[in-house]
Order: sequence, then structure tokens, then C-alpha cells
Amino acid sequence: MSINRLASSRLPVLLTKATFSYPRAYLHETKVFLQNKGATQDSPELLAKSSHLNSNPLDGSNKAPVKSTQTKIPLAHSKYESSRYELPRWKEALGELVIRTFRLDMDRVRAGPVAGSYYYTLCKNQGLQYEDEPLSETAKYFYEDLKLPRTFSQWFQITALHEWMLFVRMRAMPFKYGRNYQQKLVDRTFSDIELRLFEEMKVNSGRIADQYLKDFNSQLRGAVFAYDEGFVTDDPTLATAVWRNLFGGRKDIDMLHLESVVGYIHSQLYVLSRLSDREFATGKFKFVPPGVKVEKLTPQQEEELKAKTIAKYEAQDKDPNTLPSERSKLSYTN
Amino acid sequence: MSSSQAVRDSAKKLVNLLEKYPKDRIPHLVTFKEVQVSRFRRVAGLPSVDDKGKSVKDKKPSLDEIKSIINRTSGPLGLNKETLAKIQNSVSNEKFTEESINQQIHALSTIMGNKFRNYYDVGDKLYKPAGNPRYYQRLIDEIEGKKNENIFTAMRTVLFGK
Repeated sequence: MSINRLASSRLPVLLTKATFSYPRAYLHETKVFLQNKGATQDSPELLAKSSHLNSNPLDGSNKAPVKSTQTKIPLAHSKYESSRYELPRWKEALGELVIRTFRLDMDRVRAGPVAGSYYYTLCKNQGLQYEDEPLSETAKYFYEDLKLPRTFSQWFQITALHEWMLFVRMRAMPFKYGRNYQQKLVDRTFSDIELRLFEEMKVNSGRIADQYLKDFNSQLRGAVFAYDEGFVTDDPTLATAVWRNLFGGRKDIDMLHLESVVGYIHSQLYVLSRLSDREFATGKFKFVPPGVKVEKLTPQQEEELKAKTIAKYEAQDKDPNTLPSERSKLSYTN
Repeated sequence: MSSSQAVRDSAKKLVNLLEKYPKDRIPHLVTFKEVQVSRFRRVAGLPSVDDKGKSVKDKKPSLDEIKSIINRTSGPLGLNKETLAKIQNSVSNEKFTEESINQQIHALSTIMGNKFRNYYDVGDKLYKPAGNPRYYQRLIDEIEGKKNENIFTAMRTVLFGK
């Protein structure tokens, strides 16, 4: 199962590009026009940009920028994770045969490529930045609009925030599978950080790298706990959690930036909550870019979306030509 | 004169709003509310207060305090003198206008009014997740210090994860 196949789906939620005036909707690749135009707030990016307070990054000339390595390897030194790699036909056929003969639980097997590879790449790329390379669109939001310092540990905080949002959705999967997905995501995070510390941050000593890893581990635990508390209680608590973790507790915080991040988090969680287990577990999710505003679905659109998902997966389950590796027992109705 | 008075007045409004900000449920090293109240009290021209509401004069840290801060932050992530100076510089020269403070007030009241939480309602699907329905309840009980966990439930969590 290649990763490309997973990544090429669209979000089943209404999205509007805030800089354009026309509304656009992706509802399983059919166009549905917006009915709830009355929603007032702008995209997180525009909100953060509209601030009159010209705060500066905490430490503009940081001494520890992330250096780009000579040869860019997107995730690991594994050819299987390259976007151009294609499995030879005979290997694919052999794999399918093994899955069919031993009746492998594909939902369990899939956790590695989906959570460990695809979802981790999503989280990683949100705040990825290198010293002498232009920033990506999402990274611009974090480093330029929110004025976060361009450091490795800041990148980690951004990644941790996005991973937490995925954890929230993974908890809603059946326990056995959700737990496995979480485990794979965390495992991958730390093995990748270790690699990057050596290759990009040029840490030569294993002892120092271990210290950093332990530090990042406790940061991740603390962040997940704080965000969980904020998620289940109220927005002020979530905002303080964001302030302590993402913004490093800086005194001269711009409240607009906090508001923007809180809105960003809630809009992503809303999209996640509208996905069924089957869609989420097979990697049909992407983070909504910060420049785009998420519109709420009307009850009618929600029905339509559900019906479409059910029809799609019912057909897939009934189809005798569906490959054993594409089969899943996870629910598509919730 | 009038503009600086206007800035002070809106900063006072912001301080009043911040006073209503909910307290942290568990103590942290820094609290958002206290840090921001002290930040905007200065803008509003109000005397700085301690956590019991008594006014205190700004005092400089003693030599022992500085030494203890430096000793506590050894290791690769500790702040060095240069970084501390940079932080100090970026904090001290904040320029507020009436408009920017009003914007801050508006943003803060949006957060305090749970606007986004209510607008993007995720429902029980995420608040009571199917794989672990009591997850958030246990978290809140733990924060509030309710003793509803005994050795058996604790061991169950350790062994089975939920």
C-alpha cells in the first residue's frame, strides 16, 4: 500500500478561501454552494494579520537556526516513504496473498503507514523551516503572522499542537486501534527528532541528544495534558494552554494571536469530528490551511455527506475486486 | 494628552476584563492572568499589586535571586545572559494606541465568551470518545482532586489503558 494513494483525497468540509469572495465547497468532490454566509469571523491568518500591535518575535536573531542538510530526505532514509516510489507488481501481489492467507487485521497494519508516516508528515510540515529557505504557506502563519521564533523547539511545539489534535480524534476510534495509531505517531515523532538533531542541528553527542529527547518528551506530555484540559473545559483555559506552550509564556502576547490560534484549533477539531472512523483511519484527512476559513455544515449538508460516505464504503465493501489490503472493519457511519 | 488618557482608560477596561479571567485549576510556574494584569496595569498607570490585591513597589531582584535563577537554568536549554537581555529589550518598548488596546479587549472577550468552542461544536463524538468514554472525566476529576480512584481502578488503567 503506497502512501500516495492515501494522500490524494479531499476534505469533506466546506472551505472558503478568505482572500477571495466566492464560496467554495468540497463535499466529496461535488460542489455544494454555501447557505450559511452569515458567519462573521475571518480565517485565523487574517485575524492574526489584522492586529495593530506590532509585536516582534521573542528572539529575532536566534543562534540556533535549523540547517538544511545536503541531501533532503523527506522523512527517513527509507525508499518506501519517498513520494515517487512504487511497489513492484509482484511484491504487491505477494503482499495481498499474505494478507488474504493469514487474514491479517489491516486496521492494525495500516496504523504504521497512516499514523506513523502520513499523519506525522502532516504535523511535521506545518511548522517546518530551514535557515536559508523560503517558508511554506502554513509556516508563514506561525513564524511571520504569529511572530514565533524560528527555532527547532518552536517547530516541536507546533508539531505537538497538531499531533494533539489528531490524538483527540484517535481517542474516538475503537480503543484497540486508536491506541495503536497514537503509539505509532509518537514513536515516529521521536525517531524523526533524533535523526534531525544529529543531521540538521549537528548535535554530535548522543548524551546531549538524549537530554533533548527527554526534554521534548516531557514537553509533549505537558502540552497534551494542558490542551486536553482546555479542550474539555473552556476557551480561556485552552488559550492559557496555548500561551504557555506554543507562545512559550511570553509576556507581550498579542491577544489577537491567541484568539486566532484558538479559532484555528477549534476549526480543525470540527473537521476531524465530521469524519467517520473509516475515513480518518485510512488517511483521508488534511489540516485546513490557516488562510482558509472553515464554514459549518448545515444539517442538510451533513446528511448529504453522511449518505455519500456510506454509499462509497458500502460499494467498496461489496465489491469483490477490492484488494484485501484495502478492506477495513472500521465504522463508516459515525 | 487626550490620546494618552484614552490609552490609559482603555487599558483600565482591559485590566478589569482580565480580573474576570478564570483562574488556573492547577498552579503553573507562570499564570496568564497575573502576567497580563501586571503588564496592563502599568499601561493603565495603576500601581502594581501582588496576588492578594495589595499594592507593591517594583523592586529589583537581589543578587541571591539572580544567582539562583542562573544556577537553576544550567544545561542546554537554560537562558544565558545575552538571551535574557534580548527578552528584556523586546518587552520594554511596547507602544499601545487606543485602537490596539480596544482590539486586545475584543479578542480577549471573544476567548472569554467561548465563541469558537460554541461555534465549532464537536459534540459528544469527541467529548465522550468511543474508544475511551471516561477519559476527559477522569482528567477533570484528577485536576479537581476528587478521590474516586482506588488501587484497583488505577491498576486497571495501568494494565489495560482505560
